[in-house]
Formats: sequence, C-alpha cells, structure tokens
Amino acid sequence: MKTLTIFGLAALTAGLLIAGPYNVGSKVENFTIQDLNGQGVNFSDLKGDVTVVMFIATQCPISNDYNQRMNELYSEFAGKGVKFVFINSNASEPAAEVSQHAKANSFPFKVYKDAGNQVADRFGAQVTPEAFVIDKVGTVRYHGYIDDSRNAANIKVRGLKNALDAVLSGQSVANAQTKAFGCTIKREKKAS
Amino acid sequence: MERLSPLDESILQQVLKSNRGNVVLVNLWATWCAPCREEMPALVALQSRLASKGLKLVTVSADEPEDEASARQFLSEQKVPSPAYIKRVENDEKFIESLDPKWSGALPASFLYDRNGRKVRAFIGEVDMKELEAAIRKLL
Repeated sequence: MKTLTIFGLAALTAGLLIAGPYNVGSKVENFTIQDLNGQGVNFSDLKGDVTVVMFIATQCPISNDYNQRMNELYSEFAGKGVKFVFINSNASEPAAEVSQHAKANSFPFKVYKDAGNQVADRFGAQVTPEAFVIDKVGTVRYHGYIDDSRNAANIKVRGLKNALDAVLSGQSVANAQTKAFGCTIKREKKAS
Repeated sequence: MERLSPLDESILQQVLKSNRGNVVLVNLWATWCAPCREEMPALVALQSRLASKGLKLVTVSADEPEDEASARQFLSEQKVPSPAYIKRVENDEKFIESLDPKWSGALPASFLYDRNGRKVRAFIGEVDMKELEAAIRKLL
C-alpha cells in the first residue's frame, strides 16, 4: 500500500511536471489540435527542427496589429525550415470566423482551433499574440512577444526574430522570456 | 476630463504610498481592450458604493500616446473618478513585472492592495465582480 502510495505520488508529480504551463526549458509533449474543418491534427505531425507555436486572435486589436508582421516572419523563416503552428484558443471566436479572418488577412499559413482552450491551458498561454519557440528535442527556447511595440515604427527589440535567429544558428537565446500588453485569451467558462 | 497623469513604476509606488489607509484597486485597461471597457461601469459603481468605507479606484490606461484623447473621452463618458493615469514607461516589460511578476501583460488586469499598501490579489482577465467585491469587503 505504502509502495503504491509513493508510486502514485511520483506519477502525480511527473504528471504535473510535464503538464505545463510551459516555461523556457520545459519539454513540450505531443498534443492534438483541430484544423478549421474540425479534424484533429497531432503536433508531432506539424513540428520541425524549430517550431513556433503562436496564439493569435481574430478580434484582438493588438493581435491584428501584428498580422502583417506575422506574415513577414512566416515568409522569412518558413524558408529556413521553421514550422509554424498558429492557434486560436478564444472560445468567443469560432472556426468559421477564424477561417474568414485568415482569408481576409491573406495569411500564408494555417490557423488551428483549440477547442476548449486545452492547448492554451497546457502551454499556460494567457495573451494574444504570444509566441513559443520549440527546438528539435521539444524544449521551449523562447516565450513571449513578437516584438516590443504594437506600433511597428517604435520597435526596439524583435524578440521572436532574435530567438529564431539564435536557435537556427545553434546559439542560446539572449532574452528568452519577454512580456507585452495584449488581449486576454477568452477561455471557455467552466461549469461551477 | 483633463490630461491623464503619466505613470511609471516609481510613480505607482508613490500613488500607493499616498493612499496608505485606503484599500486600493489599481485597474489596468486600454481603449483597444473590449472587456476592459465593458467592466469599467461596474468598477465605477463599486468605487461609488464603497468609497466611504475606504476604497480607492486607480485606473491606469495602457494606451499609446496617440490614443490618449480617446482614453480621456472614454473615462469622461464613464464618469471614472480621479486619479486616472496613463502608463508612460521606457519599457513595458519592466512595468508589467513591477506590478506582478506572474502577470503576462494580458488586459484587463486589476491589482488589489490593502490599507498598508500590500498587494493581496491580482485579477487577470475579465473580473467576476462578486468575487472582486467580496475580496475588497474583506479588506475594508
């Protein structure tokens, strides 16, 4: 009984360690996300040697201010082998709206829907836009903003680009954890 | 409403110090943040109900300088009481960290301080007004 209890506690602890929220240095476990037709897709089929997981929104003005910059980042880094997984976790923004928004903004990348915000919960994502850079072995190497200014004219630090350049060249990321103002991810209301 | 007072990390500390003796609710909002605008009337009503017991609502707009006029107009329309501030900081990240190291910067966000100026609770995202009022009443 005692052995079982200890084993149970150890398993629980291990579970807590891998369940997130993910910080820099965390190992990202496989998860399932829905494409905009409702089909489940495994992260293991989407990831590459370097992967960006990005939480975005259709209605958040801050996230929308970055649409063009997201397109540019994708264009620059997809050609260097970086995989991108754009995720909409907002309960208030259904798949049809996400699809229309992607078309309206000429996104060259797919956007996935996080039903029940399970992926956002696992990552501990709180805000849009919010980016995670994951390396070949599944370790989070960067977590935070795309850059440090909503207004493109005032950017001083391109956090995500710098992180991708560093990881691609085998360097450590100088500023691996960043923060910026953004919209709260609107989670499903849990029944109380 | 007159121009909003600029606020950074150190001015916030001064504001909290000058309000010792009150329970202070610091609300971070922005004109671009729909849930922030939606919850503002309830925050103003809460302040109005509990001001005599010692509650002080301090609003801080996270808007950029070019949006200050819109922020002022919104605060006037909502009859938000003074003091009303707008963040003017060198580095948003440091400002966010100074309010709460666990805070991502997601808006809306409200931080509750007791009569001694100690932060006792952070409300990130759309706040449950009943929960907020209960937390405030416990401190009053």
